[in-house]
This record gives sequence, structure tokens and C-alpha cells, in this order.
Amino acid sequence: MNPVVYPEPIEAAIARLEAWLRDLGDRHPFPGYTLSPRSLVLLLLQKDPALWEQLQRDEEQCREVEIEIAVAQNQLHQPLELAIAQTRHQQARMLERVALQQPKSGTQPWAETLHQITVNPITGFPILVVILYLGVYKFVGEFGAGELVDRIESFFEGQINPVVDRFVAQTIPWEPIQDLIGNEYGIITLGIRYATAIVLPVVATYFLMFSLLEDSGYLPRLSLMLDRLFKWIGLSGRAVIPMVLGLGCDTMATIVTRTLETKRERLIATFLLSLAVPCAAQWGVILGLLAQKPAALIFWGGFITAIFLGVGYLTAKFLPGASGGFYMEIPPLRLPKIRNILTKTWVRVKWYFWEVLPLFIWASVFIWFGRLTGIFDLIIRAIEPLTLALGMPKESAPIFLYGFFRRDYGAAGLFDLQQQNLLTGNQLVVAAIVLTLFLPCVAQLQMIVKERGMKIAMAMVLFIFPFAFLTGFIVNFGLTQLGINF
Amino acid sequence: MDCHQCHRCDSSPSSRSWWRRWRPAPLESQLRSSEAQIALVGMPNVGKSVLFHALTGVYVTVSNYPGTTVEVSRGLMWVGDRAITAIDTPGMYSAIPMSEEERVARDVLMSEPLAAVVHVVDAKNLGRMLPLAFQLIEAGLPVILAANMMDEAHRLGLDLRTEILAQELGIPVIPMAAALNQGIEELRSAIAQKIPAPSPVTASAV
Repeated sequence: MNPVVYPEPIEAAIARLEAWLRDLGDRHPFPGYTLSPRSLVLLLLQKDPALWEQLQRDEEQCREVEIEIAVAQNQLHQPLELAIAQTRHQQARMLERVALQQPKSGTQPWAETLHQITVNPITGFPILVVILYLGVYKFVGEFGAGELVDRIESFFEGQINPVVDRFVAQTIPWEPIQDLIGNEYGIITLGIRYATAIVLPVVATYFLMFSLLEDSGYLPRLSLMLDRLFKWIGLSGRAVIPMVLGLGCDTMATIVTRTLETKRERLIATFLLSLAVPCAAQWGVILGLLAQKPAALIFWGGFITAIFLGVGYLTAKFLPGASGGFYMEIPPLRLPKIRNILTKTWVRVKWYFWEVLPLFIWASVFIWFGRLTGIFDLIIRAIEPLTLALGMPKESAPIFLYGFFRRDYGAAGLFDLQQQNLLTGNQLVVAAIVLTLFLPCVAQLQMIVKERGMKIAMAMVLFIFPFAFLTGFIVNFGLTQLGINF
Repeated sequence: MDCHQCHRCDSSPSSRSWWRRWRPAPLESQLRSSEAQIALVGMPNVGKSVLFHALTGVYVTVSNYPGTTVEVSRGLMWVGDRAITAIDTPGMYSAIPMSEEERVARDVLMSEPLAAVVHVVDAKNLGRMLPLAFQLIEAGLPVILAANMMDEAHRLGLDLRTEILAQELGIPVIPMAAALNQGIEELRSAIAQKIPAPSPVTASAV
């Protein structure tokens, strides 16, 4: 049964091509496909790229189809593809009228109003600011990175670390092995502590808020509102989707860049994600670092946004090609279901935690090995001039080394330093900026290599490394010259 | 953020090697023993992943944000006492893919032997969704239309007459609200009717 009957010239072409396909027998161009001949022919008429690529292996067959298309096209007043799409569309509308009873009265005016308020920049930006303030600053920053981290940290410092230290001191006679498990850089006292006491509460609160925004239908509206901004930097509104997801996890967002239509857009989006879109872990820890200094936080936010826009604009300018059209489904605003949000947050946090925990443990082992052999000190001494150039204290050199492995590990290290009051406001800002711009975590790097290829990944790394340091240097220099102290 | 739990992903083996080691494996062998395959298809954000979860119990991150599923996931579902494989696909707008993840969805339709294709639509936006239904029916696929989000449609005062739709399209139409677990069993029995009766000879060949 055919659900749609197309205009006469098209139906004639379909009939002729169907017969032609049948007669080809062994020479059938698409032997692997399970689709009906009618459907195959319609796809050919619509110039489906994949089918045409196969068809082009046989010039004669190709010409045959092209002739039929030309014949049909001659009798139509509009492009063939459009005629097919329109016929389907009309048929769909007709069927909808028959099967779907429309309501008499206007429906849910509040939902429409709410939608307008969130997508209109004049009201939408204040709403964004309120959400950022309450959701990100208050909930993630003050509650997650402040309250929760403090409690778990003091639990570790008070209950776990001393016990571990005492235990290894009593049971293991050899000091290097003691250091592997306990003491300043041990697996439990540093690796597991960073993962559970600093990163876990931050990431959990952030994902909870993010899931809430996601399920309410706010994120697509945010994307819609940001669309114009994105067009200006040469990306389509569709590119907003991975960017907004990147605020949750850059690795996942890099996978989602597949939804972008052109190679160029995928490239720009991947690049911006790795350079200037902070992920959940970074957001949280940076918020925690700068929460006591709102001016510094705003400076950081403004600076990263400026880098995002500036670099985006320049990349779009230098990469040739057009940006794809904007096409996005806007789902309804919904009252999120608590259960769904909790499940989602739980799954994400679990996934994240199992992802970072072994890495943090490995980092501890590497640091232990490096210290034991003296390699660590050599590298630190090599990095020290760089950190000093950024205006950072000597103690922060190891943190940049950690940040090399994972941004969140580095951020957690900074957090540790800050709690010991070793950093000034300016140093915090500079460190936060460098860590945000710095190379993504290993998982994201892997994903870039997989999605964009080794060459592009390397090019990005070679740009991002010096760029991050240079920017930090300039910011530090600028702040010092202008006499600004946060 | 899809499929980071523990079901099988159809991407190249290297793609998720960094989480693969956390994933228990027995599902793979279960899938191999399944008798038939069905696929869930539809536009983005119509609730395919919610439905997939309801049918198979495999959790794929569900979100009110289009484009969250970019890869195919498989899970085992039970129809009576028969195990069949359900495939969750990324959203697609039409049979002609515009982007990479739509291509993934089409490849499933074009190359996998499917006992049923469940086209999930948003009942509120039926008109916009039907062209894809036409294309699936044209392709000769065993389509079942799952009219999802009926609860939201009702709230908007919309009344979908599924029997008319079923008659006009010539395919089963199941009204449902997957997020509220409504209509799942009806869909399961509609799927059961599409699965060929088990015969001792062919059952293992599928």
C-alpha cells in the first residue's frame, strides 16, 4: 500500500525506474539494501548522496536514472525534491486534520509566555544570569564546592588521613612504600581524597543542576537565544547544542558535534570546546576557588567568554566554507520528574567517578614514582620558570604538572593550595584562566583524535598549550601593570 | 551523554575503550541468542530512549534535549517468553540523512533484518512527524506507529483518533505515554504480532 501518491510525472518516473531496476537482475546497483524498490527509486529521485555514490560506479545506469529525472523534472513547475517533500507534507497535514482533533480554545498561554520570555534576549539574559547565580554560584559554588567539600575534606583530614598515615607507619617498614599509600602524595591521602572530597561533591551538585535544566527544556531555549551570537562567530545555531552540553562534559559534547552538518562546523566546535568551554569539574572547582571574590569570578567569566567569542570569530573567518542552516527542535517546557533527574545525575556521577578515580590513583602513583626517582623534581624545576612568569608561587608548579594529566586534577590541587591561603586573588584568577584554556582531559583528547583525526588533534594541542600560558602571562602582566588586585 | 552504562554500542571498538573496561559483558552473548530484532526510530526528542528503557530496562541517558543519542544502542527485551533485540537509534528527520548521526539511524534501517520498526512520534506534532512515517511505509518496512506523549497532547486539549490513523496508514498505531509507562504492554503485544512464529529450523538462523 502506498501512503502517498505523488504528482503524475513523478509516479510515471517511479513506475519506469521500478521496472528498470527489476530488469537489471544481477546488475542491480543496490543488492545489499532491504528497502522496497519504490523507496529506492524515490531516494534516487531525491538525489540521496549515499545511493548516488553507489550508482555512479556504473556510468550507463547513472545516465538511465538521470534521463528519467530530467523527463519528470521537465513536466514539473518546481524542483523534483521539493515536489516530493511537498506532496508528503500536504498528505501529512491532511491526515493530521482527520485524525487529530484540535482544541477549541487557545492552549496553555502561560507555557507560550514562558517560552517567549526565555528565548527573547531582553528577558532571556537576565533569566540566564539568575539561573547562573542561583544554580551555579549558590548551589554548585557555595553549597557543593564550599559546604560539601569542606565537610568531606575535614572528614578526610580528621578521620582518614591520620589513620592511614599511622597505619602505614606502623605496618610498613620501608618509607617509600609508606609514601605510596599515605602521607603527602599517597594514593589514599591524595588521589582518593582529591576524587572523593573535592571533585565528587562539585560534580554531583553540578550534574544535578544540569540535569534539572536539561529536563525542564531550558537548554534548547538557551541555545535558541544564543543562536544569533553563534551566527556572528560563524557557527550555526545547531552548534550551540554541543557547546551547551560541553558545560556538563566536554568529552560527551565532542561526540555530540556529530550532529553538526558540515565538517568545518564540527572542527570549529571541537576546537572551541577544548579551548574555552569549561566542563562540570572545572566550573565547580573554579567557582569554589573564586567564590569569595565575586569580582574575580566575573572577570574570569568575562575573560573566558571574550576568548570564546574572539577565537571563534577568528577561526570561522580563517576556515573557508559556509555554515549550515539552523534547524532545531524546541521541545516543550516540562516540569522535570525528580526520579528521572536523580537517575540521570546518579548515572552521570557514577560514570564520571569511575572515570576519574583510576586516573587520580595513577597520577598519585606517577607522582610517587617521579619523586622517588627525582624525575618529578627535574620536571618541576623545568616548569618553575613558567609558573613564576605567570606570577604564581613556586608551590603551584606541581599543579600545572597535574593539570597536564587532567584539568580537574590540577584544579583540585589549586583548591588545596587556596585552602592553605597560599594564593592571592590575582594568582587565583590567572591560574583559573590558564586551567580553563588548558588542554582538555585525556578522555577528551582521545575523543578528538577519534572524531577529528590525529593531525587535527595535534594541531589543536600545539595551539592550546602555548596559547593558555601566553594568555595567563598577559593577564598577569596586565593586572600588575594596571595595579589591579582582586 | 548516551550509553555510558553497560549495553552494547555499535561504534567502532576504539570509540569507547576508555569506559569499556568498566562494562560487564554478558549482554553480548544474550543478544546473540535473541530471535529477532526491532528498531526504534523517529525524529529527535520524541522519547525513543525513554521507550527503549521501558522496553529493555537498559538505561540510556534520557533528556529533554534533542540530539542526546548519537549512537545506536542495543538491549534485550522480552515478548512473552521470547527474547528479542531492541535497537535505539539517533533521531532522524527524513530518510535522507543530513548529518552523521542521522546516517547511523538510516544504516540500521537499510541493512539490518528487522521484524518491526517502531516509529515513535510526538502526538502533539503529528503533522510534522508523518512524512517520515510515509517514507518508512514506502520502504516496505514493518512499521508500528507509537503515538507517544499522549498525556501532553491531552493536556493541550488534543484528541488523537488512533483508529482513523491506523486505517489511513494501514499500520498498527499504539497511543502511549512512555515516560508514564502507559501503552508499553500494548506496544509489546503489537511487536509480538510482527515477530515470525518460532519454527525449529529458522529460529536459530535469524
